[in-house]
Amino acid sequence: MGNYRFHTPDGVSDMLPEECRTKRALEQKLRKLFAAGGYSEVETPGIEFFDVYASGNFVSQENLYKLSDQDGRILSLRYDGTIPVARLAATVFRDAPPPLRLSYIENMYRFSESGGGRQREFCQAGVELLGLSSTQADAEVIALAISSALKIGITDLQISIGQSEFFKGLMEEWDIPTEDAEEISRHIDQKDTVALEKAADRYGLSASAKETLMLIPALFGTYDTLDAFAERVTNQRAKAALQNVREILDILDDYGYTKYVSVDLGMLRSLDYYTGMIFKGFTYEVGFPIISGGRYDKVVSVFGRDLAAVGFSLSLNLCMTALRRQGREFLPMAADAVLGYSSEPGMRKLALAMAEDLRKAGQSVLVDCEGMDEEQLSSFAEERNIDQVIFLHDSQNCCEGENVK
Amino acid sequence: MTDMITIALSKGRLAEQAIDLLEAAGYDCSAAREKSRRLILEDEKAGLRFIMAKPADVPTYVEYGCADIGVVGKDTLLEEGRQLYEVIDLGFGACRMCVCGPAALKGKLDQIPNKRVASKYPHITRSYFEGTKRESVEIIKLNGSVELAPLIGLAEVIVDIVESGRTLRENGLDVLEVIADISARVIVNRVSMKMKAQSIMPMLDAIRAQLAKQKEQGEEVPSV
Repeated sequence: MGNYRFHTPDGVSDMLPEECRTKRALEQKLRKLFAAGGYSEVETPGIEFFDVYASGNFVSQENLYKLSDQDGRILSLRYDGTIPVARLAATVFRDAPPPLRLSYIENMYRFSESGGGRQREFCQAGVELLGLSSTQADAEVIALAISSALKIGITDLQISIGQSEFFKGLMEEWDIPTEDAEEISRHIDQKDTVALEKAADRYGLSASAKETLMLIPALFGTYDTLDAFAERVTNQRAKAALQNVREILDILDDYGYTKYVSVDLGMLRSLDYYTGMIFKGFTYEVGFPIISGGRYDKVVSVFGRDLAAVGFSLSLNLCMTALRRQGREFLPMAADAVLGYSSEPGMRKLALAMAEDLRKAGQSVLVDCEGMDEEQLSSFAEERNIDQVIFLHDSQNCCEGENVK
Repeated sequence: MTDMITIALSKGRLAEQAIDLLEAAGYDCSAAREKSRRLILEDEKAGLRFIMAKPADVPTYVEYGCADIGVVGKDTLLEEGRQLYEVIDLGFGACRMCVCGPAALKGKLDQIPNKRVASKYPHITRSYFEGTKRESVEIIKLNGSVELAPLIGLAEVIVDIVESGRTLRENGLDVLEVIADISARVIVNRVSMKMKAQSIMPMLDAIRAQLAKQKEQGEEVPSV
């Protein structure tokens, strides 16, 4: 057996002052933004019963951190924000009149799918809008996701919008059973046209149906993409899905967000989970989406209340990585001033009072606890990038110096 | 705006074939032809950067966005199971992923309970036997010369790629079942596809056009 006392487990890491301060500042910006939009923040427990995640079959058990309580019941660390909030909406808020607007900023715990590199503990900020199935609600959530990214400094942003109902409608029209539809959706999601073509032949799709199918992973644009598909489909469900996306684009234009948005009907992950529009947000310098969201009207019903739901989550850790790689410097954490004092009687009291005054004025001040003399204090400040050095000799003589970097 | 495109290639023959194709498609790949031990080869003017990686690592570089595009065998993709776009079948590097064993087992494979299967591809093996065939097997991971395993009793059968089948035959083995057709694929990172669409889409189109042209001319797969 190894001795792991010097190590942290796989997928977790310490957050050092500079990074931590940046993260807190970003969290604060998002918290304000969510609150300004009328979303109330909640905190759900870091540990849930395993059943909370297992009952809906939305999460595969391999990805959950599991432990057990003293009665032998299986518990799971918080895997995402949506499912606990859905539990809240159906239980604690059972009598609350919809709509509910809730938000969270919390750490999530996941065994990453393929291991290696990706963090297993990471912070997500997100919102859930429960009890509304309107297109306006869809658009509100996407707009808030865009505002969130912009607010924390991600300006190179691309949002792709898809619609799971479009694909489900097509499968219905072509009479393809659910299990096979899942396989086809996987090929589309991976843009694997080779496998897709083979599948189309296997199901004996007509030439025009096959053409439509092959277009799904290939086409992404805006209204033009919607027009291209609108001409090709007759199924009501698929048509309604296209109309939903069209209206979302219209509303996002009212928000002034058109330039960030495009349509990609080939985004087809977790078809069991999503029941309407799906969206993802991308930026430069990170290989994974920073934002993920959509409509999942069946999730709350797992907990016994029939409630429509739409929401998104933004990965703060990925955003910070992106910001750093895009050249946004994180400011090093340094106190504004360091204050020392001589051993003359009464100087300590004077120094402590002075530090308090400066702190009240909003400065961060370190008070020397080691009895340093003026020279030692200066080099201490220099080592730590502290701008201002104050040394109290006696009640008449206070020496202030600027630390020249 | 044109973005710098990073391409991860599988060191060896696959890389050379990929470079031939890209050049034929009109991209200046002289940087990648440089004979050196450097692992990153960059041509700022052409806007291309090449990473030379072990085949099994190519999907990893692309999934994490360290490379925008990669060229790698379908066998590696199946084994690694990563989240990326698999956009073009290049056709070269063609072979098959097969279950192989003594010819005597032909057609009788299902009669052996709790088979031991040796393979360099434990994930493909697991998903084929457990997912497709719905049977439990014991998988023995080996790193090469997998044909040895059934000969000396380590396993009943193996899962491996078969090109000409010569190694199999010379060792008294045969293909028992075909799992999948394998060839080289172009893969793209999911974010790059969106963020660098202006550079990546034309490149994919040029590759597709070149492949179509070669097919039309009845040209053989570029040989090295």
